[in-house]
Amino acid sequence: MSTPTRVAVTGMGAISAIGMDVPANYRSLQASRHGIGPIQLLDSAHCGNLLVGEVGITNDELAQRLEIPAGEAYTRTTLLALIAAKEAIAGIGLADGKRTGLISATTVGGMDATERYYDDYLVVETHRHFIPTHPCGYATEQMAHYLGVTDYVTTISTACSSAANAIMLGARMIKAGLLDRAIVGGTDCLSRFTINGFNSLMIYTDGHCRPFDEQRNGLNLGEAAAYLVLERADAASKAPIAYLTGYGHANDAFHQTASSDNGDGAYLAMKQALEVAGMEAAAISYVNAHGTATPNNDLAEGQALLRIYGTAASIPPFSSTKAFTGHTLAAAGAIEAVFSILALQHQEIFANLNFSQPIEALGIVPQTTLLPAEINHVLSNSFGFGGNCSSLLFSNAHD
Amino acid sequence: MIKPLYIHGMAGISIQPTTEPGYFFDRIVSYAQNPIPARDPDYKALIPPLQLRRMNKSMRMAIFTSQRALQQAGRTTIDAVITGTGLGCLRDSERFVEAILADEGQSLNPTPFIQSTHNMAAAAIALALKCNGYNMTYVNNANSFESALLDGMIYLSEHPDKTILLGAVDELGERTTTFWDMAGYLKRNEPTVPTPLAAGATTGEIAAEGSTFFVASQRPVPSSLGKVVAVETCLETDDSTILITRFLQKHGLDTSAIDGVLMGYNGDSRYDSLYHEVTNAQFAGIPCVGFKHVLGEYDTVIAAALALSIQILHEQHIPPALLVSGPQPQQLSRLLIYTQRRGKNHGLVLVER
Amino acid sequence: MSELTQELKAKIIAQLNLEDLTVADLDDNTPLFGDGLGLDSIDALELIVMLDKSYGIKLSDPKEGRKVFETIQTMADFIEANRT
Repeated sequence: MSTPTRVAVTGMGAISAIGMDVPANYRSLQASRHGIGPIQLLDSAHCGNLLVGEVGITNDELAQRLEIPAGEAYTRTTLLALIAAKEAIAGIGLADGKRTGLISATTVGGMDATERYYDDYLVVETHRHFIPTHPCGYATEQMAHYLGVTDYVTTISTACSSAANAIMLGARMIKAGLLDRAIVGGTDCLSRFTINGFNSLMIYTDGHCRPFDEQRNGLNLGEAAAYLVLERADAASKAPIAYLTGYGHANDAFHQTASSDNGDGAYLAMKQALEVAGMEAAAISYVNAHGTATPNNDLAEGQALLRIYGTAASIPPFSSTKAFTGHTLAAAGAIEAVFSILALQHQEIFANLNFSQPIEALGIVPQTTLLPAEINHVLSNSFGFGGNCSSLLFSNAHD
Repeated sequence: MIKPLYIHGMAGISIQPTTEPGYFFDRIVSYAQNPIPARDPDYKALIPPLQLRRMNKSMRMAIFTSQRALQQAGRTTIDAVITGTGLGCLRDSERFVEAILADEGQSLNPTPFIQSTHNMAAAAIALALKCNGYNMTYVNNANSFESALLDGMIYLSEHPDKTILLGAVDELGERTTTFWDMAGYLKRNEPTVPTPLAAGATTGEIAAEGSTFFVASQRPVPSSLGKVVAVETCLETDDSTILITRFLQKHGLDTSAIDGVLMGYNGDSRYDSLYHEVTNAQFAGIPCVGFKHVLGEYDTVIAAALALSIQILHEQHIPPALLVSGPQPQQLSRLLIYTQRRGKNHGLVLVER
Repeated sequence: MSELTQELKAKIIAQLNLEDLTVADLDDNTPLFGDGLGLDSIDALELIVMLDKSYGIKLSDPKEGRKVFETIQTMADFIEANRT
């Protein structure tokens, strides 16, 4: 038997409400400085009343930073994605003959242009060059052109677990011998579509989200993009910054939107991630929870953690970073993968902000302040509509 | 190592009567319109009313065809659900945008938002079958189904004992159809099905919709219908013949090993020449089968082509209405499917008896 | 009062696409959720939208809906007590 292929992370990039690149995101996490505030850029009737995690620069400025000629049709989802992907591949020459894939996740796709020009398209020609940008796959194809990826290009959309699934596919394709390198992650900009959607589900908080708090009353949405470069560890083009050692995926098969009370899907995803890595639950030093701060998610995820660990006392330090960035939907799994790797690199656990009172039914308490700690393995959860549950396991590069 | 995937059951909904027992394109329904909605079967026969009432067309089509495929395979459970959809639940997306534009700030009905999520068809199948296993949805334009197929092959190489549902669904929108027309995608002049090909082709596509599902595993059984040996996609290429040669070479084959090709001719004069060039250069003298001229164009129509290719291999006969060029074959054991859409999203699938 | 329950039945059937049911099939006291009619949490959200649009009553906490939407009768009582 040949030794199984290890999957190394050799690059990462991120843009979110707490920073325009990975170092800026880290500085905010380290200072426990969140990025949630009133809507500034998006034109929505909810500007005055709902708080979001917005990336504070306009599409024009993003396009300028990317040196995209004015007048070309790039939606915000794609622009954010390119900023993050460009950072991720910095120092890695893609034209080295290695088979490189791009696996990107999005749920919003070109919806921000579609909702803006929905009626406008009918009457004037001005913005009709944005019509082709609507499909989710279009964003990925623009990215592939910009980055110069030709070997494999695909797009995943499984609601809020999308990016975790894109990262998982990249690892599986490398292990299956189909790719040597995969640029994987996700992107979603804020849109009226998603803000109104979560508001109509009555799970959008009227203030700041409070993950794992008894009084939590919903999420804040955010926008972000984050990408990792995964490579076969035995042929990596750069020194690894971490390893992707495990991944798990399961479906809750319970309800269209709600998680089952005992967190079946979440439990199975975490269990499988540990199995793939060949690790005991006790080996995990930190759990980056999905923790959207909706009543349903945090209860189900907490139950699943209790099932994995047996007792509240055995659960390692855990936190949801959604209170920093907002819930960034298809980007969440990727931005939190970056945070998990930052935790490994800096040996620090990031705070679960806005917490004061444990959920009565669970009795579990997240890490509420920055905690320096010895961190070898981090489990990162992402769960989405349709019962779609994924868990990624990242391990220290010096392991 | 990726191994072939055996098909044990399959079913499709399309603009042709593909849900009728034994249907094999012997009778082609004609249309003189664009777009063309898929023919609705009696969904109530397979979907409980309490579930059906809220389902959009994508979800209905996907549940119906997946149930039928399972019936054919003699199964009631499945280990994983892997799907592709170019545009997802388009009509619910449109309804929610329209609600926002009319009433933002007021109470909005959440159902269209929930059901606009691209993975809702795969999720509805998991829910209907109580399947806790792997559940994935690819949304990569006209390569969405091929991505699902590749993932299915990877999944089965990781889990050789599992059986999966693999499928595709795409539905028509209303406003979106208007937008595609504005973008110049659609055929305006005398849109008809069967769509004239070759010299009769004009610009534009016939927009349609449909769903096709397969039950697949790595283990052949006597009732297996056929097998998929390989799949590949390519976003863009300057030369499709090179793409095809390399694809076949990777699997130890050359063009002489192919008994017939299914080509994505859709009657759009701007892009059909691509197929013509490939046929002339690489597959002259062997049967060339069309499918988009009777099924219309949508992102995941290649899934219907896969079902057709398996049916052809099984019947050892090509429905005359689908034979674009070449002779009726003597014997068919290996077919190649090649499609692209608007000059990109090239897809190749190698199918064997 | 019975006029309101009849009206509610028609509205619920329309709003929730209960196309196989008629007003006559719905009893004032049949539980709408669980073992009764079998509605779920998404239906509850749709009923909240209906209360707002048809009767001008806003529920800000979906948990409140559970009690209000127990039966057609409890809904009618709630609307009578709260409508403006």
